[in-house]
Amino acid sequence: MDISVLLFYGMSFIILSFALAVVVSNNPVYSAFYLAITMVSLAFVYFLLQAYFIAGVQLIVYAGAVMVLFVMVLMMFDLKKEKDSFSKGRLSNILKVGSVGWLWGLIAGAIYMSSDLLSIGATLHTKDGVGTTTKDLAILLYTDYIFAFELLGLLLLLIAVGAVAVSRIKGGTHA
Amino acid sequence: MLSFDFLGTVGLNHYLIVSAALFCIGMVGVLLRRNVLVILMSIELMLNAVNLSFVAFSHFSQNINGQVMVFFVMTIAAAEAGVGLALAVTIFKRFKEVNISFFEQLKG
Amino acid sequence: MSNTVLISLLFIFPLVGFLFNGIRFRSKNYKLAGAVGTAAVGASFLISVVLVAKLIGLDADARSITVHLFDWINIGSFTANASFLLDPISAIMILIITGVGSLIHLFSIGYMSHDERPSKYFSFLNLFIFNMLLLVLGDNLLVLFVGWEGVGLCSYLLIGFWFTDKAKAAAGMKAFITNRIGDAAFLIGLFLVFTNFGSIEFSSITSLLPATAESGWSGPITLACLFLFIGASGKSAQIPLYVWLPDAMAGPTPVSALIHAATMVTAGIYLIVRLSGMYILAPNVMMMIAIIGALTAFFAATIAITQNDIKKILAYSTVSQLGYMFLAVGVGAFVPAMFHLMTHAFFKALMFLGSGSVIHAMHEEQDIRKMGGLKKYMPITHFTFLLGWLAIIGIPPLAGFFSKDEILWYTYASSAGSKVLWAIGAITAVMTAFYMTRLMALTFWGESRVSKDVHPHESPKSMTIPLIVLGVLSTIGGWIGIPHVISQFLPGHIPNVLKYWLAPVGKSIELTGPATEAEELIIMGLTMGLIITVSWLAYLLYAKKSAIPSKISGALGPVSKAVENKYYVDEFYQSKLINPLIEASKGLWLYIDVNFIDKVTYLASDFAVGCGRGIKNLQNGNIQRYAMYMSLGLILILSLILMGS
Repeated sequence: MDISVLLFYGMSFIILSFALAVVVSNNPVYSAFYLAITMVSLAFVYFLLQAYFIAGVQLIVYAGAVMVLFVMVLMMFDLKKEKDSFSKGRLSNILKVGSVGWLWGLIAGAIYMSSDLLSIGATLHTKDGVGTTTKDLAILLYTDYIFAFELLGLLLLLIAVGAVAVSRIKGGTHA
Repeated sequence: MLSFDFLGTVGLNHYLIVSAALFCIGMVGVLLRRNVLVILMSIELMLNAVNLSFVAFSHFSQNINGQVMVFFVMTIAAAEAGVGLALAVTIFKRFKEVNISFFEQLKG
Repeated sequence: MSNTVLISLLFIFPLVGFLFNGIRFRSKNYKLAGAVGTAAVGASFLISVVLVAKLIGLDADARSITVHLFDWINIGSFTANASFLLDPISAIMILIITGVGSLIHLFSIGYMSHDERPSKYFSFLNLFIFNMLLLVLGDNLLVLFVGWEGVGLCSYLLIGFWFTDKAKAAAGMKAFITNRIGDAAFLIGLFLVFTNFGSIEFSSITSLLPATAESGWSGPITLACLFLFIGASGKSAQIPLYVWLPDAMAGPTPVSALIHAATMVTAGIYLIVRLSGMYILAPNVMMMIAIIGALTAFFAATIAITQNDIKKILAYSTVSQLGYMFLAVGVGAFVPAMFHLMTHAFFKALMFLGSGSVIHAMHEEQDIRKMGGLKKYMPITHFTFLLGWLAIIGIPPLAGFFSKDEILWYTYASSAGSKVLWAIGAITAVMTAFYMTRLMALTFWGESRVSKDVHPHESPKSMTIPLIVLGVLSTIGGWIGIPHVISQFLPGHIPNVLKYWLAPVGKSIELTGPATEAEELIIMGLTMGLIITVSWLAYLLYAKKSAIPSKISGALGPVSKAVENKYYVDEFYQSKLINPLIEASKGLWLYIDVNFIDKVTYLASDFAVGCGRGIKNLQNGNIQRYAMYMSLGLILILSLILMGS
């Protein structure tokens, strides 16, 4: 029994239970809090998977920026109480939960059925040429995927301009 | 199926099942909750589940391209969260209401 | 000028008149409309004269001119072309139609001078002439039928000319529908002729006729003749389809003269004479025709005795005289039938026009009880009407004597005739004399019962000239058919021109049997004696004021009431035929159309709308509902893929 196995089970338990709490909780502020915890746990799991850069980015972007945004907006809304937190309609609710459960069953079944293709092994082994370090990730980003990378920058610019344009008040210097 | 062998060694399958479960939980949240922000949070959950599965694949096949994909997904998810929240703010300022069952004007 | 050009012009003139006046139907310029209309028919008359002159120049056994204008219907073995046949029978008809027609057009100029829509009137009259010419000149049954329907249409248009009066419009409708019933039978007859002979051209039919007559009622020729006769009885107002003719007097009087005396109602006779070869082979149908003709003549005459409207008397008189013509064809006397058709056209048109002149002078008064002594106010009208009266009651040497006596003689003596029918015909002749004398006496003779504010005067020249011309024709028109029994006494030995003229196409059944010339003279003398006696009686009863007629009708009580009400035939039809039909139609409409068919169509539309409504609920604006649909779809597809593999 490796420590990593225990860690995996523990972290995945935390992830799943707090994710469930996000969905189930009545108070949206609590939901935001639980989501933050879920993000951090996920970063932990990325560390387990030796994806250090990704884990770092997860912490910085999700837990650091996105969750902050969420909390800021929640603060702005200032919701006192939350009645009607779940959608109405018993039949459609049961249908929704049931269908999602069925979906999970399908995916799990698919994973199980193709497990012989996927059992690559638990241990690390390196490939020739391309490594698995952050440096290799950076090289890939700036050589093979440079176009998508630049587009991503453009997209962020657009998002920034768009967010300001959507939420501005009338007036300003523009006619 | 739940043998000691299976449970004892953590392989790709375990990570994928966790990722699938996380995805489904996020989907339930999108379908069931009425608050706009909680729906956005559930969407974040689903994106993270996908990230997890990508990273798991990348680790177990020793291919760094999976992490490149995660990089992109994360960036886009963050951008989308930003725009979505800007819209939610605008809607709240206009209607003073964050319950999406209020916004049914496009009904047939 | 070639025959094709002549025949085409014959048709084109009335058609142009119809179009010219029809386009200008709102115009009130009666002089121009009347001039164009009369000129059109007058031109057709001149062309008819030219054509008949051509015909006379031909040999007796090849006396026909055929003109093929264009191919019309050519389907499989059925051909009906737009071709026209001019032979002795149609020659007589086109002369009558265009000649009498142009006189009536001339008369109408004066008669319709105060009307609202004179142009419309003249256009309809010209259209009628066109259709009537089509009818008599067509060389196959279908072209004849086109003209048949066309004259029915024009009759409807002209009877209901003053359609703002509901009763007049209803009269037009009645004429049209009664005609339609006859037309349905005509069509069945046409179909039977086609299935029997394979062709509906008259020349083909004549050449394909079998030699021996049929017996019984189920032979194909008999059935065809029967149905064609029913069609003819609709057009020519015989029992049971005569009810439209008295009501048709609602139209302008010149219309009654043209359509319901001289031309349209004679179309039935023309049809039977045209197909005389076929009818001879169906003796049962001929007997039926004779019986119906005689009965119609008799009953119409009884009704005419009691009528008080001058036009109604003339209308029933027309029905009665048509009965004579059918009696003639029924006993195989085709030549006398055509002869009587011609003379009747002259004197009946004359009398109708005369009555029109009287009505015009009396400011639209038509009741003869309010007339009397008009002789001194309207001398020309009176004199010409007198000629017509003498003609119809059968006084020699006027026209009616010769034609009517021929018919009576053939009925008596022909192998297909019968003495009973002759007796009925003779009694009808006597009644004709009575009611016509009554009409003359109450209208023109005796003392005046005209109301104080009406000042009758003679009609203008445009109305009296046609009267004079027709009066002359009524006098001398009979001289082309003088039977041998009389002509042997006359100097110059005038032959029976008409019999000779019609011989190649209309062979009457020859008289066999024990009848002799002496019998003929005796019968002639007997009838004439009775007629003169009865006329004198009527003159005494009506010209001098007498209370005897009212006493007689009082004594006969309910009988006279029934006769005066036309035997309640119209009421019978209304209650036993028309009302049940209307009720049945209403029932069908309500139970089948509204309840069933409409509901079925609503089913389809309700289904579509219901589907739409149901599907509309899919889009209720609830985003989570949409997300659920998407996920359900996804799950379904995944299940199919994973379960399938």
